[in-house]
Amino acid sequence: MDQLLPSIFNGLILGAFYAVVALGLSLIMNLTGTINLAHASFLTLAGYIAFTLLLHGSPFWLALILAPLLTVVVGIIAERTLIRPLYGRDPIYSLLLTFGLALVAEEAFRLIWGANGLPFSPPASLGGTVQLGFMAYPVFRLFIALVLIIVIAALTLFLRGTQFGLRLRAAILDSEMIAALGTNTQLLYTINFGIGILLAGIAGVLSAGLLGLNPNSGNALLMPAFICVIIGGMGSLLGSIAGGILIGVVIALTTLYIPAASEVSMYVLMAVVLSIRPRGLFGEEGLFG
Amino acid sequence: MNLARLGYISSAVVIVLLILAPQIAPRFGLDISIITEVVVFAMAAMSVNVMFGYTGLPLFGSAALFGLGAYGVSLSITYLHAGFVVSIVIGVVLALIGTLLISWFLLRRRGIYFGLLTIAFGQIFYFVAYRMREVTGGEDGMTFRRPPVQLGALHIAFHETSIYYLTLAIFLLTLLLFWYLTKSPFGHTLIAIKQNEVRVRHLGLNSDSFVLVALLVAGAYAGLAGALYAISILFTFPLELDWHQSGDFFLMTVLGGAGTVWGPLLGALIYVLGKEILSTITPAWEIFLGGIFIACVIGFPRGILGTVITMLAGRNGVQHEDAPEAEPAGISA
Repeated sequence: MDQLLPSIFNGLILGAFYAVVALGLSLIMNLTGTINLAHASFLTLAGYIAFTLLLHGSPFWLALILAPLLTVVVGIIAERTLIRPLYGRDPIYSLLLTFGLALVAEEAFRLIWGANGLPFSPPASLGGTVQLGFMAYPVFRLFIALVLIIVIAALTLFLRGTQFGLRLRAAILDSEMIAALGTNTQLLYTINFGIGILLAGIAGVLSAGLLGLNPNSGNALLMPAFICVIIGGMGSLLGSIAGGILIGVVIALTTLYIPAASEVSMYVLMAVVLSIRPRGLFGEEGLFG
Repeated sequence: MNLARLGYISSAVVIVLLILAPQIAPRFGLDISIITEVVVFAMAAMSVNVMFGYTGLPLFGSAALFGLGAYGVSLSITYLHAGFVVSIVIGVVLALIGTLLISWFLLRRRGIYFGLLTIAFGQIFYFVAYRMREVTGGEDGMTFRRPPVQLGALHIAFHETSIYYLTLAIFLLTLLLFWYLTKSPFGHTLIAIKQNEVRVRHLGLNSDSFVLVALLVAGAYAGLAGALYAISILFTFPLELDWHQSGDFFLMTVLGGAGTVWGPLLGALIYVLGKEILSTITPAWEIFLGGIFIACVIGFPRGILGTVITMLAGRNGVQHEDAPEAEPAGISA
């Protein structure tokens, strides 16, 4: 019993990670139909950039801000040069392209930072544990939870409360109409992609401190994030968040009680949800076939 | 020259080259097992070709079905002491069962949603193989011995070259079947589904049942390829089922030419030989592989063969829709 509460807490934090990664995937998928298989590469890239910054004496908070932004720059270059030519085509080609990009990225990481895992420890000020009354909990994990909640809240405010967010949501429904009404949709696509990568970057730096850093460490978050999108329902950002939390808790509980089934549990959850609701929990019928 | 005739002549040349491969390959310093791998991967890539090249549905979980075929062989030989032929049959049946299980979920979706679901459901099989350590050996995979073939009084022990010829014979049979399929009303219906599924439904055809049969054909190809791969390398491992392997099969298909009969073989040849040659030069060969793939997707999405056929058809004044072997219409729609 005394393991249950920390487990659920860990599950919620893991779920928040999945949700943030899934939100980035969802944003990109909803607007342009691109399944970004290179999303994990951007997570890993952000981790490596943060590692390099820390190595050169940067404080942790600066690395946490700078690394995702630098990753966004790389992401926007990739979007402008590689992904943009594919927007008019069947979305499957962007999936194939990002698969190729992921292959290149993984090898590039191996060349630049080596094949072995790198030590990436949270700063001393975020080390140790704090007494929450009912249990002691690592400070770094609480810090992660705080940052991820802020990120999700900021994204919601941005999409719901700004002119730009309004345009973005409108473009998901009908990008031709939005273009006809005078919005530069190409710029919209690029900024949207950048936001998706920014979310991946923040999650990448934080997860490197929690789960470690190696050339394919981002992959550990990619597949659960896809499952979040499927369970939550494609086209729904709320669904991605709900899916993330749900999967995080389910994984944490199966890890506690049936460790061998920890990976398979989320797929079982997906199969159950899809049997009951083929479009996912919050998905709209007709979107993405 | 008429395109159909050119197609037949070049097909004949390719078949002759494949038959002579055990004589040709050693002159380039290649072991015949590498050519076996080319043929087996081509067969696996044909599953992507059926689904994506012809039906227009991105099957991104082909490796799971490939791996089911492979594990069907290794598990049945290890635990049931199955014979050579029986183990391959078990592998294919296992892949078909896997296909049926996931088809229930896949059939309700189309487009990229379908692709995403094939990735996700494929990973289930990967994790099962990875986690059932006591049975499958987990991450380390499992090795086994090749059972001899007993045909009445005839006792055949396979070596590398005869395994190649067996694989080649089965490959050519499946290719012939595939070619026949593309010419049949069934194949034309698949292409129609790719071009406009709503219209197919309005014509009174239940497109779901056509997609299901296409999925089973794909599952059989992938499973058979996996079974033959296992029996040729005598080793199975979980990464065979991983979505990265599915991506590689997809890469071969698109590189060679999705929607062409010979595309998967050409793609598999470039992939396997490229890997073989590049990995002796640089450990970072995947950068080049990924780079080639990116260039292919942006520059010539019809793939090598699709592009060549379209060019030849254009020169002959034929619209590419009528070109033999290639019906890539709508590929860039």
